[in-house]
Parts: sequence; structure tokens; C-alpha cells
Amino acid sequence: MGDFLVWVVWFVAAGACLGSGIAVVTMNNPFYSALSLIGNLASLAVLYLLLSAEFLAAAQVLVYAGAVMVMFLFVIAYLGGRADAPWAGGSPLLRGAAVVAAAALLVEIVVVLGLAWGDELNGSAEIADSFGSPAEIGRLFLTDHLLAFEITSIVLLIAAVGGVVLGATREKGGATP
Amino acid sequence: MVFGAWLCLLAPLGGALAITLAGRFISRRIAGYVSTLTTFLAFGGAAIAFLALWGRDPEEREHVSTAYTWLAAGDFEVGLEILVDPLSVVMMLVVSGVGGLIVWYSMGYMAGDDEERRYFAYMSLFVFSMLLLVQAGNFLLLLVGWGLVGLASYLLIGFWHHRPEAVAAAKKAFVMNAIGDATFALAAVLLIWETGVLDFASVFEEAEGLSPTTVNLVALGLLGGAVAKSAQVPLHTWLPDAMEGPTPVSALIHAATMVTAGVYLLVRAHPIFEAAPDIQALAAILGAITLLLAGLVALVQWDIKRVIAYSTMSQIGYMFLGAGIGAYGFAIFHLFTHAFFKALLFLAAGVVIHHLANEQDMRRMGGLRAELPRTHLAFLVGTVALVGLPPFAGFWSKDAILASALADGSALGWTLFVAGLLGTLLTGLYAFRLYLTVFHGERGEAAAAHGHGEGPLSMLVPVGVLAVGSTIGGLLSVPGVWNPFTHWVEETGEALVEPSTGEEYLVSAIAVGLGLVGFLLARRAFQQGRQLVIQPDAWRWLEHKLYFDELYDTLFFRPAVALSNALRRNVEEPVIEGSLGELGAGTIQAGDGLARAQTGLLRTYALAIAFAVCVLIVVFVAVR
Amino acid sequence: MSGPGVGWYLIVAALLFGVGALGVMLRRSPLIVLLSLEIMLNAANLTLVAFARQHGNLDGQIFALAVMAVAAAEVAIGLGLIVAMARRDMPLDVDQASALRG
Repeated sequence: MGDFLVWVVWFVAAGACLGSGIAVVTMNNPFYSALSLIGNLASLAVLYLLLSAEFLAAAQVLVYAGAVMVMFLFVIAYLGGRADAPWAGGSPLLRGAAVVAAAALLVEIVVVLGLAWGDELNGSAEIADSFGSPAEIGRLFLTDHLLAFEITSIVLLIAAVGGVVLGATREKGGATP
Repeated sequence: MVFGAWLCLLAPLGGALAITLAGRFISRRIAGYVSTLTTFLAFGGAAIAFLALWGRDPEEREHVSTAYTWLAAGDFEVGLEILVDPLSVVMMLVVSGVGGLIVWYSMGYMAGDDEERRYFAYMSLFVFSMLLLVQAGNFLLLLVGWGLVGLASYLLIGFWHHRPEAVAAAKKAFVMNAIGDATFALAAVLLIWETGVLDFASVFEEAEGLSPTTVNLVALGLLGGAVAKSAQVPLHTWLPDAMEGPTPVSALIHAATMVTAGVYLLVRAHPIFEAAPDIQALAAILGAITLLLAGLVALVQWDIKRVIAYSTMSQIGYMFLGAGIGAYGFAIFHLFTHAFFKALLFLAAGVVIHHLANEQDMRRMGGLRAELPRTHLAFLVGTVALVGLPPFAGFWSKDAILASALADGSALGWTLFVAGLLGTLLTGLYAFRLYLTVFHGERGEAAAAHGHGEGPLSMLVPVGVLAVGSTIGGLLSVPGVWNPFTHWVEETGEALVEPSTGEEYLVSAIAVGLGLVGFLLARRAFQQGRQLVIQPDAWRWLEHKLYFDELYDTLFFRPAVALSNALRRNVEEPVIEGSLGELGAGTIQAGDGLARAQTGLLRTYALAIAFAVCVLIVVFVAVR
Repeated sequence: MSGPGVGWYLIVAALLFGVGALGVMLRRSPLIVLLSLEIMLNAANLTLVAFARQHGNLDGQIFALAVMAVAAAEVAIGLGLIVAMARRDMPLDVDQASALRG
């Protein structure tokens, strides 16, 4: 029964994930695309939960869906009509090649994964209850992966500065970029 | 003796180097003195060597002195060796003696020329090269001397390099000599291939053992070199043109010494030629053809120097004839006497030319007997010696060769004998035509340039010495009485034919008779104011030197020029030059093509990345 | 582990990645391109987390967190660029922003 439930949840979440992903890519109205992406992120959070990554799921919802997407929506609102996104023009060769490339990637990944680790993918390691808990993540960040932690913070700082620079206007003579 | 030989060789080289290095720091006169004195010093060295050799027994008269091993490749070795033996000593004396006189003469003749120093440096270089040639102890060193005299000849013919005719003549001489150099070099290579040695002693020992083909080819190669250097048919067309050089140059290089190098080679390498009798006969035949051809052409020439040049060609024909039938001693004897009277003729002609402010056309001369009495006498002596009237030098030497031809007895010998007699007649004709036209008759148009007179002492004394030599020099070989000269030379090579005394006197009588007939005919024609050759067609053929120049032009020059032009048009310009231009344009085009990858479109870049990732995945999986 | 094995998650991630790649390569509006880019990043995150679960090693989740942070930063800058473009009245069309054309 429990297993069956997990399967159902999984299918629903996966379906929502893929469906919303396709919606993001195909919609004309960017507002709807952004909303679809929020749905995508939410279903991904569910999948994370199924994979015992609780903290990550929470961070996904809070940070990604909560902050980043809100930023997106702000910008879309600011742009208003100018944000209308018609479908791609460009040479048919380009479009065809794009489809081919994506398909190739997909097939390759699946094939590679299947060939290389086909057997191993069925089993999975035993884990403790604290796997994926905030405590564990935090401990790792501050011990084994301290460097990544620090660098990430620097990246964020740079992004903040960059954002300010990009958004700045001067009273006299426009900004350069 | 060895010291004498090395002194003889190196003194002129030292002179040339000194003049070259001193450059403008020495005056022109001093350059002249340096050159003259070093050449006479060389003569001194030669005399020392000669006396030392004379003091030895005949068996011991061959001495090789090696400075060091010049070239060594595996088993093959060539040393910087000089050979002192009777033949080389005679040549050394002739070259340095006559050379010294001529260089001294040049001091007067070339005085006032801006480039006198260069001239004397070249003259000393030439003397050194010629001495190297005659003293070389192996074929390689001989070839070096051979090439160097060719170089000196080129430099001196083209001395007045602002004259295009002189430059052209120098090139012509060099190119034709180069043909001879090439055949000589091939012969030397063949010798190395078959015998592995190049020094004379070893080669001559091996000469018997070589296969007929080999020895014929070697002899042919050597003969080719000799023919080119000595201006025999068919490689003779450069000599008349070489008269563009200064008159002393013509005297030294193109009369007395360089052009006789071919004869020297034939005598020096006689074991090879004796092993290849056909080639030796060929040499004699070429000599005979040349002596007749040159004699005929000389009958119609108007340039005083060209007449003497053709005369040289003809006389060397006699020497080739002599060497070809094996009369080595007589051939060298004729070389010896010819050096005297031919140089005399050239130098005397030089006095005339100098006196008439560089006028060389005989038609504008005449009646100079009164103005240039001593020169006239010298010229007469030279002419008589050339024609071969006793007791002057040419008589003894030329007739000895003819007698040897008679003594040979074979059909070839008879033919050569008749040819030689005809040549004597021709010699009488053209030589006296020259003499009479220049010195007798009415005074010609050529103006006597500002009272030059007969020239300074430096010009007259050498002429006088040569006149004396032309008079008595022949007495070194009186048939039936004494033959010191020929015996001396023949220690290096036994003559193949020995005419008897009776034969010699008989031949002499006939030859003298023919010479006198020539003189009389020439005098009659001159007194009647007409030319010797009247028949218009014959005259035209002879005036054009039997169209040899035109023949060679068509056969060799035009095809070469056409080929060069064709190559330039079809290969060099489109392919090589074009390819350079194409290279540049192609690079730009390639750059443009590559630049098309920079579309500026984000999507293409993204596409490219996607494709790259696809490929990379495959690579990683495969490598795994 | 109950439910689908890790392989299923990986397939989902692969499909998501392909969808996102199509979006990046086919859409002309920079906004949509950014959104598609986000999808690709999330697909990568899913892969990481799945493998973390399989090996029982939390490093995958740490990596996913770092990816998330960087994605946020990148989105900030991307949006700033778009706003800057809009402010200068440039057409919001990826094909027309080809000043780097060689």
C-alpha cells in the first residue's frame, strides 16, 4: 500500500513536472510561462522529497519559487506588452538542427545511462533518517565543503553588484552598456 | 728546388693579395710595380727550380711536394701537391718570364687608367692561376687552376666593364670555357670512380689497366676541356671576341699562356691519351681543322687584334696536331717559341694602337713605318717568326711538327702533313697582309694621338726582349745538331714519332717555300690595292667566321632563351608568384569563411554547444 | 528505497533537460530563453539529488544547493540585462541582438 502510494505520487509529480516544462517552452505569453515554471519547481520539490532531500525541497520552494520566480514576475510586469514572446523565426535549418540536437542529447543520455549503469540503477544505498536534513547539510557546508560555500557567497555578491550596475542610470549621459 | 717552385707559385698570389688589400692606399704605379716584381720573382723561383732540376740525373727529375692533405673522403685523398719535373719547369719559366715582360709592358700601356690597381691585381691572380695549373701534381688541383684562369680571363676581358661588348665577350668566354670545365670535371670524376686516385703518378700507372670505354671517356673529357680552353674548333668562337680586353691581356692570356693550357694538358696526360689512341687522333684532327679554318678567316679580318687572335688559334692548332700524333717535345717547343713571337706581335700591335689613340681598324692604318720605326722592326720580326722563315723561332718549331706528321707515315699522318703545309701558306698570306697593311703604303686616316711616340721604356723594353727571343729562341732545337729542349721535355713523355734529319730538312724547305709564296702573293695583292679574297660568297662566309656564331646562336642560345621565357611565363609567374598572391588571397578567403561561424546569434551558439556536448558524451563513453 | 528506482528519476531529468534545451534553442524572446535555462538547471539538480540518494552521499545535495545559488545569481543578471535592453528601447529579440556578428 505504501509503495503503491509512492508510485502514484511519483507519477503525478513527474507528469506535472514534464507537463509544466513543456508549457514553459511552448507558451506565447511570458506570464503564463513563468507561472508554469513555478508549477515545475513545485513538482520538482515533491520529487526531492521522495528522494529524501528535505532541506533541498524546502530551499527549492523558498528560494527558487519564492524569490527567483517573483523576480521574474516583477520584470515581466515591468515590461508589460513588450515582453510578448512570439515563437521563433529564423532559418528552418536552425530549427531543425535544434530539434535534432536536443533529441540526440536525450537519446544519448538515456542510452549511456542504460548501458553504463543499467544494473546498478536498481539498487540504492541504505540511508539514515538524518539523510538530507538541514543539520546534515549545514554540517557539511561548514566542514567538508566550506570552500564551495564561501565561493558561492562571493558569486552572489558579484551578482548583486552586477545587478546594481546594470540597473543604474545617470542623470547626465547614459550608462555605457 | 722545392723552395723555388713554391716561391714561383706563391709570389704572384702574394702580389695579388697585397694589391687587393692595399686598395687605395697605394698608388697605381706602385700596384704596377708590385705586380711586375712579384711576377719576376716567380720567374726567379722557376729559374731556381730549373737549375736545381738540371743538376740532377735524368732519372731523378720528378719531384712531388705536398703542402698538406687537402681533401680526404674515406679512402680517397687529394693533397695540395705540386709537381716539379722537366715539363712543368719549362711551363713555369714561360709563364713567369713572358708574363713578367707583359705585366711590365702593362705599366706603360695601362698608365692613366682609373682602375689600374684592379688590373694589376687581376694580372697577378692570372699568373698565379696559370702557375698553379702547370705545377699541379694531381688532376683536382689542375682543375682548380683551370677554373681560376678562366675566372681571371673573364675578369680581364671584361675589364672595361662599362663597355657592353666587353661584358658580353667576357660572358661568352666564360660560358664556353665552362663547357670544357664540365667535361674535364666529368673525366676527373670518372677517374675517381674507376681508380680512386687523382695524382698524376698513380693515374698514369693505372691508365693501362682501365677498360677502353673508361679511358676513352676520360680522354674525351680532358680533350673537351683542352679544346674549350685553347679555342679549338668547335669551342673556338670566344677567342676573337676576347680581344675586347686590353692588349696586354690579349698577349698574355690569349696568346702566350692560357690558351696553351690545353696543349699542356694533352702532353701532361699523354699516358691516358696513348691508351685512347682514337681520342689522341681526334685531337690532332681538330688541331688540323682549326689551323685551316682560322687561317682562312684571318684572311679577311679588319681588326688588327682579331687577325692576331685567329693566328693564335691557328698556331695552337699546330700544337694540338703535334700533341695528337705524339710529338710531345715539338709541340711544347712550338708552344715556347709561339709564346715569344705571338706576345711580341700583340705587344707591338699594342704600341700601334696606343699610338693611334685606340684605333684598331687596319683600314685606317698604313705607312706607319716612318712614325714607329722600332715597333715596325719588332713587328716584322714577329711576322717572320710566325710565318716560319729561318733563322727565326717559328721556323724550327713549326717545321718540326710537320716533319713528325710526315714521319708518322699513316694515312692520318699524311693528311695532317698536307693540312699543315696548307696552313703554312695561309699563315704567310695573312701575316704579311697584316704587316703590309699596317706599316706600308700610304698613311692612313687614323690620327696619331697627340704625339705619343713609340711609348715609354716600360713598353719598349719588353718588346725588345721578346724580339730577341723570337729571333734566337728557336735555336734550342736544331735538327741533327742538338735538341736540348725536346730531350728535356721528353723525359716526361717519350715522343711517339721521331722524324729523321733528312725528313726535317726536306719539310723545312717545302714549308719555307710555301711561306715565301704566301709573302709574295700578299705583297702583290697589296701593291695592286686589292684584297686576298675576292670571290664575294667566299668573302662573306669568311667574314662571318663561317657562321659559327650564328649556328651556336640558333642551336643553343635561342632555345635556351625560349625555354627560359616559357618557364617564366608558364611556371614562375602563375605558379610561384601566383601562388604567393593566391596564398594571401586564400588566407583571407579562409578567414572570411571561418568568420561566418560568428553569426552573432545566440541561438546558433547554443546549438553549437548542444552538438558539442552530444559529441563529447560519445567520446567519454567510448574512452571509458 | 520504496517507489521507483533511481533510474526513473534520471529519465525524468533527461526529458526535462531536453525540453529545456529545445526551449533555449528555439525561442526568440530572451525571457523565455532564461526560463528554459532554468528548466535545464533544475533537471541537472534532479540528477544530482537522485545520485546522492543512490550512493547515500550528501555531496550531491550540496552541489545542488550551490547550483541553485548560482542559478539565482545568473537569473538576476539576466533579468537585469533584459531590463537594460528594454530601457534602451531595444527589441527584445534574441535574433536581433547580433552585434557580435563577425
